Formats: sequence, structure tokens, C-alpha cells
Amino acid sequence: MSETLKPLKTVGHPTPRIDALERVTGAGHYTGDVKLPGMLYARVLRSPHAHARIRKIDVSKAEALPGVKAVVTLENCNFVWGAGSVAGGIQYNDEIKKNTRQRRHAFNNPVRFVGDPVAAVAATDRHIAEDALHLIAVDYEVLPHVLEPEEALKPGAPQIWPEGNFALNPRNEQQPMGQKRGNVEEGFRASDHVFEDRYSTAFVHNAQMEPRACVAQWEGDKLTVYTPTGGIANCRHDIARDLGLPDDNVRVICQYMGGNFGNKNQNQDADLITASLAKLAGAPVKLELSRKEDFIGMHGRWPTVQYYKVGVSNDGTLKAIQLRGFSGMGGYRKNSGAIGGIECYQCPNIETVITPVYTNKTVSGNFRGPEYPQGYFGIQSMMDDVAYKMKMDPVDFVLKNMTRKANDSAEYTNYTLEECIRRGAEAFEWKKRWRQSPGSDPGPVKRGAGFAFMSFRSGVGHSNAILRVDSKGRYFVHVGVTDVGAGAKTTMGLIAAEALEVPLSQIEVVWGDTGRCPFSVGESGSRTTIMTGHAVIEAAQDLKKQIAEKGLPKGSDFLTASAGPTPRIQGGKVRNTFGAHFVEVEVDTELGRAHVTKYLCVHDCGRVMNPLTGISQIKGGAIMGIGMALHEDLVYDRASGAPLSAGYYGARISTHRDVPDVEVMFIESDDGYGPYGAKSMGESSKVPAVAAVGNAVFNAIGRRMKDLPITKDKIIGALA
Amino acid sequence: MPKSKAKGRISRRKFIEGTGVAVVAATAAPAIHAQSPPETAPGVPHTAIRVTVNGKAQRIEVEDRWSIAEMLRDHLGLTGTKIGCDRGECGACTVLLDGKPVYSCSNLAVWADGRTIQTVEGLARGDELDPLQHAFIEHDAPQCGFCTSGQLMSAKALLNSNAHPTREEVQAAMTGNICRCSNYNRYVEAVLAAAAMPAGKRSNSTAGRKRAKQGGLS
Repeated sequence: MSETLKPLKTVGHPTPRIDALERVTGAGHYTGDVKLPGMLYARVLRSPHAHARIRKIDVSKAEALPGVKAVVTLENCNFVWGAGSVAGGIQYNDEIKKNTRQRRHAFNNPVRFVGDPVAAVAATDRHIAEDALHLIAVDYEVLPHVLEPEEALKPGAPQIWPEGNFALNPRNEQQPMGQKRGNVEEGFRASDHVFEDRYSTAFVHNAQMEPRACVAQWEGDKLTVYTPTGGIANCRHDIARDLGLPDDNVRVICQYMGGNFGNKNQNQDADLITASLAKLAGAPVKLELSRKEDFIGMHGRWPTVQYYKVGVSNDGTLKAIQLRGFSGMGGYRKNSGAIGGIECYQCPNIETVITPVYTNKTVSGNFRGPEYPQGYFGIQSMMDDVAYKMKMDPVDFVLKNMTRKANDSAEYTNYTLEECIRRGAEAFEWKKRWRQSPGSDPGPVKRGAGFAFMSFRSGVGHSNAILRVDSKGRYFVHVGVTDVGAGAKTTMGLIAAEALEVPLSQIEVVWGDTGRCPFSVGESGSRTTIMTGHAVIEAAQDLKKQIAEKGLPKGSDFLTASAGPTPRIQGGKVRNTFGAHFVEVEVDTELGRAHVTKYLCVHDCGRVMNPLTGISQIKGGAIMGIGMALHEDLVYDRASGAPLSAGYYGARISTHRDVPDVEVMFIESDDGYGPYGAKSMGESSKVPAVAAVGNAVFNAIGRRMKDLPITKDKIIGALA
Repeated sequence: MPKSKAKGRISRRKFIEGTGVAVVAATAAPAIHAQSPPETAPGVPHTAIRVTVNGKAQRIEVEDRWSIAEMLRDHLGLTGTKIGCDRGECGACTVLLDGKPVYSCSNLAVWADGRTIQTVEGLARGDELDPLQHAFIEHDAPQCGFCTSGQLMSAKALLNSNAHPTREEVQAAMTGNICRCSNYNRYVEAVLAAAAMPAGKRSNSTAGRKRAKQGGLS
């Protein structure tokens, strides 16, 4: 159970963002707002084919167009984009990027999806650059394509890579991912009941509001890149490595960023293409992607197919869980393709075998809880179904079978999962809202309730911070965060103010510029508050000591403290964050429309650094999860392999009218790790949301919806 | 040898004209005193327009193909208006044209001739924030902030015509403004709070916060 936290002076109180004024007056400078003297505008020509070999590219007419200053193709811009295909999701390992056989370049031949870059143009005006694209003649030999992972593994399927469509791992082997504990075959034999089912999830795009843009400027052999990245340090290192420059020659600046949601803690092909154009043109270049290009040329969540087999005893105790999964990676394996979720159950025998598969769809990458929302949808729908089949309340089934130790062996640093579920069920009035007999409401409009829970990583690790104080007692906090929208700048300011025992108004946060900020882990994996926050505390303690010894500096002097701690969890424990989501839906069975009428999130994120922004984070993740459950999809034309719904409207991203009021309840605990007890938050609320909504739909209509998204046609079809 | 040809793609101007809205004649009248230096590309049809932006009447030379968003962002330096999709889907570029909310990416600059535009930069009066801006700060309405200008302008138009909207009316009025951070609850809360704010409290109190440092940009 959670202990009462000691209140702090600054941390833990609802505080408006320190840059809120900029965000409501239009004064925040995002990458697309950067305008440099003599800057050119760039556009990218992309493959219209899902799979094709380029025989020839003729750019002469484009180059001859007045105003065009540079054209790049794979012939004069052949950089390996290390982060574009890291063969297994190992983002930060240079050796792997060097060794992998399945490398992605800034431009590739063959092209492997509709949207694969083919050429890029820089011109004095964006309209001229657009016109120039039409003058580039590309001779394609169109190759057969395949879109679905299971089809791609069949004999005779079109081969996207010479080694086949089973994506290689970092050691260039075709090895499935997975884990094993006990013996599932024995487990199934010892079970009284064995259930099997198939679930599938769709490609959903990050769709952050800011379309990708990049501005690159060379001064001699020094390069400055303005680009939307959640990790300026990693982005800089990636750009430098890919272009063959020392890290110190590259400066990455991201002052404001219009949303992240994953796979932006590194560089992108747009950065390499823009830098190449700027070099060739001898002028700064701004590349702007259209919304459609952002949808098809960037990345989204990997679609999956999940086959489960679950064994239980008569009293509803799990005996064995088996998962065979397939993840569609698109033409390149940008991230792992893993499918998570089984680990949140206690079970002596488990086995997961997950195959990452190349397809000719848009590339998949990390998106808010990379392998979890889709994996949780699969396993927690499956388990929900098992609970009903065992004539158990799904909440009781989970309380019986949920994780109590990590992988059934390691202690958690603290454990509040049961409290999250019990308190959530009570506040939600689960017993009242949940239909014991699914689909039993009379009439065409039926209500039902569902729930899902989560246990999600919240590790500690290395990051840096530099703090300075001047003679006036102003404190400068240099941190390599961008603040992608989660409020990292403000959080760092709050932590510094708390640790220095000064008011927030005396703190100036310096962020988003590798020229002025030390290494930060980058805003991915819900790690910034924990890791960079810890570094801020250590630097603050050092600075306080210096001030105690020497007093405040005089005149133009500064006192400076730097910290780069690498904390570790002691005693083989595992640090996780816990939560449970309870959802009530109303389904119009005549129209097929499912609508969320009540949504409660209960989260233990440790101490909540800033409840104002923290609640926003949790709400946002839950609402994204509702969208993924009910309508988001990137639909493809099977015949041509072309995406048909690339855009906000087509991909059915949630709008104001789609969303319920999401209630958020925090259970705050301090396990002794993290800055003032903070745990991870950013991704966590999306993780169980999709499954919770799906389970509520089942409870309302009595039909198990196994394929995402749960659209109107599928609901009507299931009830027909 | 199959050659892929650039398809006869429709230009932005043709597309927007095709939506059936009347277009201001595109005869190129010479600018007498353009407010911003003429940045129009040579050989491209351009037009001198008179437009009042955030209360300031100006005469500027615009290319006929520019959208209002492009004119504001690239030629008037008003980058608070964001382009999220450039095709009328997301609402990040919403501005008020003669008081009505429009997607500035889907309206040509020449259409603004003789009209008034209000952008996010024109919401505050000097140092005094609009009540909506106050409420957006206090209710943490912007997460990443990229859609915020558009949300503000849609909300402004709503409150101008309906000072005390219901929750449903706010959602309906702003449904053309997408927020991928999905901070919809906060936006609605903030608009309702601004509408409920007594006139006396609408002064610039919380915004006295020091502007955060913003170096590094030219």
C-alpha cells in the first residue's frame, strides 16, 4: 500500500508551464518558424510505388528550372541513415548500425513503400521546389508488393530484402523475439480449460500536429540543424555519425516541438536530406513535409497479428500462456516490432514467439509505449474473454492472476497495482456498471463496462545537468530537454527550485540546444523526469554546497555545478509504474457506433511532479487509446499498395466531439528512487486504454471485437 | 520503357478556386508603398491588397497563389499561426477573417483584400492577455502548443457570438481543431472558464511571469 508522501515546497503543486505565455501568444518558435537569411525551401519526391527498382532518375529539367539551387538523389546523397533501420530497435548502438546488413539510406533503391524518398529539391521558393519535383523523371521497374506480415512470410511472397521478409536482428540473424518461462506444453496439459484466439491491430500514425520540418545551415564544416526532436543529444550524434562529422561539428536546436509520441529521440532522413541540400546549394535550406508525407514518410505503430493460447484451472488460475505474434515493420525495421503485455500476468509457464516482418507499407516505429498498447489489447482482450468463459468477473480474474513480482521472480521496488484496481473499481462503481450478462441491455442502445490494467517500466539511468548561479541569485538550469509537450522544461524548473530551495521565479531553464545544454537521455521511454530530473537534483546539491562555502559569486562571475549520475536499482528489484482504466461505453447497435460515456484512469506514477500537467498527460494518453480502439487506421489499397487514408480526416484522428471527460486519480507513492519519488508517466496511460475500451464494447454488445479498430461496420457485422 | 510522369496536379490556386468561392481578380496592380518589401517571385501573378491585420491597416503585394497562412507566416512574420496539414483538416491555422473563423491554409491571400484578419498575435491588448489566453494558461490547455493558436481563435469566434456557451457548444464550435496531444478536456474547461470569468478579473495577472529565455534563433 502507498504511504503518505511528505509535501514539498515547489514540487507536487499544480503549476502553469513556465513557457505557457509563449504557447498562448504564438511566440514559441517551432522548427517551421525558423527563417534564416538567404534560406532556400526544399521538397521531397517520393515513390508512388509500393515496391519498385529505380532504373534511372533524370533531374536535368528540374535543375534547369530557374530558382532551383540543388537536387539530390541516391547518386549524390548516399548516406546511411543509421536510425532508419537499426535491426532490432537498438537505437543508440553505433556498432549495430555499422554491422547491420539491412541498412537504410537517405534514398534507397529499390524503394520499398509508397512514400520512400527518391529525390529532393531546394529552390528559392517553396512553389518552385514543388514545381521542380514534377520535372524529375524517374524510370521505375515496378515490383510485386506485399502488405500483410503473415502473407509476406508465405513461400513465393515478393521479397523485400535479399535475405527474405523475416527481418534480421542486430546479429544479422532471422531470430524471433520472445521469452520463455517454465514449459507451456506441460502447462496446457495441467490446465482444465484451454482457450485459443487471434487478435489483430492496425497501423496508427503518431500524427503529431507539427508536420516534419528541418532547417540546415553550414558554416564551413560546421552544421547547425533545427529539427523537431525529443532528444537533441542523440539526434546530434546520429546526424554527425551518418554524415561522417565529429559530434562537435554539429549543433542541434529544437526550441519548441509540436508533439512527439515516439521515435523522435534520434535523427530522421529529413535531417540528412536537408543537410545535403544545404551543402550542395551553399545556402541554408528549410525542408517542410506535407501532412500526407508526414503520414506516409515517417512512421506509426506497428500493426500486429497475435495468436494466443491460454490454459487455466477450474478455479480460474492461469497455468500457461502462449503467444505467436507477427509485426508488420514496413520496408525497414526502424524499431523492434515486439509485442508486450504477457508479463503483466502471473503464470508459471509462458512462451512468446514474435516475428518482425517486412512489408511494403509505411515504416513502423516506436509510438507512445512502443509494443504495449497493441500487445495489451491482444492479451487483455484474450484474458477478459477467458474470465467470462470461466464465469468470473474480469476484475476478480485479474486480481487472481495479475503480476505480483516482475516475471514472477523479482520484487518490485514498490507495488500498488492491487490498490489501483481496487480503488478504481470502487470509484467507477464497477459492480453497478458492469453487465454480468454481456449485451443484455434491452433496446438497440446498449451500455457496458470494461477495464484493463498495466504494469509499465519506470527505470532509472544516466543523464546530465549543469546548473549555474550569478551574482544576483539567478539560477540557470541547463538541460538537454526539448519539451515535446509533456512539460519537461517546467518539471526541470520545479525540481531545481525544490532542490535549491528557491522560488521558481529565480530559475531560468535553458533547453533544446546542443550548443548550450549537456547530454540528456531524450524524451522517449517516459524517462526525462526520472533521469534528467535526478541529474538536476545532484547538480543542485553541489551548487548549494558551493554557495554555502563561498557565498554567491561577485560581479560577472558564476558558480557552476555539473552532474551526470547513473543511478541503479538495488537488490535486483524492478521499478514499475502501475495503473488501471475503467471505461463505460454506449453502443448503438443499429448504427454500430460505440461511444465512451465514462472513463476513469487510476495511476501510480510515484510522486506527481506537477499535477496540472500530469493530469493532462494521463488524459491525453487515454484519449489517444480510445481513438486507436475505435477508429484510427491507415487504410491501404491492396492492388496498388498505396495508403488511402493518410491525413487527419482519413485516418480518423479523434476530434473535440469524439472524446469523453477523462477522470484521473493518482495514487502517489515513493519507492525511494527517482527525483522525489517520480515514476514514469508519459506513455503509461495509453498502454491499457485500448484494451479497456475493447472490453467495454464486449460487455455492452456480447460480441468480442478482435480486430482493431472497432469501427461501425465491424460492430454491425459482429451483431448480424 | 515505362516512365513515371508528373501527373497534372492541381495547383493550390486551382484547388481553392474549385471550392466555388469567388476569387478576387488577379490583375497585378502595382504596389505604391508595400508595407513589407516585395518578396514576390518574378513572373508570378501578384496583386496589391489592402488588409487589416491585428488592427493594423496595410497594403501589401501578394502572389496570387499564396494562402493567407503563407502570407501571415512568411511575409508578415506572424508565425503564431501554424500549418498542421495545409489542407483544411486540422485547424491549426485558424484565424478570424472579418470575425469569422477560417482555415487560413485554405483561403487565398488575395481574398483578404479589403478585409480584416485577427491572428493569435492580435489577441492580447498590449500587455493584457485575452481572458481566453489566461484561462488556457491556468487550465494547461496547450501541451505541445502547436494547435493552440487555432484553438484560441476558434474559441474567440465562439465567445464573440455566444458569450456563455455550454460544454457541447464549445465542443461543436471547436471540433474543427484537432489536438493530437488530445488535451481536449482541458481546452473545453479553459473556454468555459474564460466565459465565466468576471470582467474585472480579466487583467494580466498571471502572465507577469518572466518570459522564458529563447536564445538560439535568428
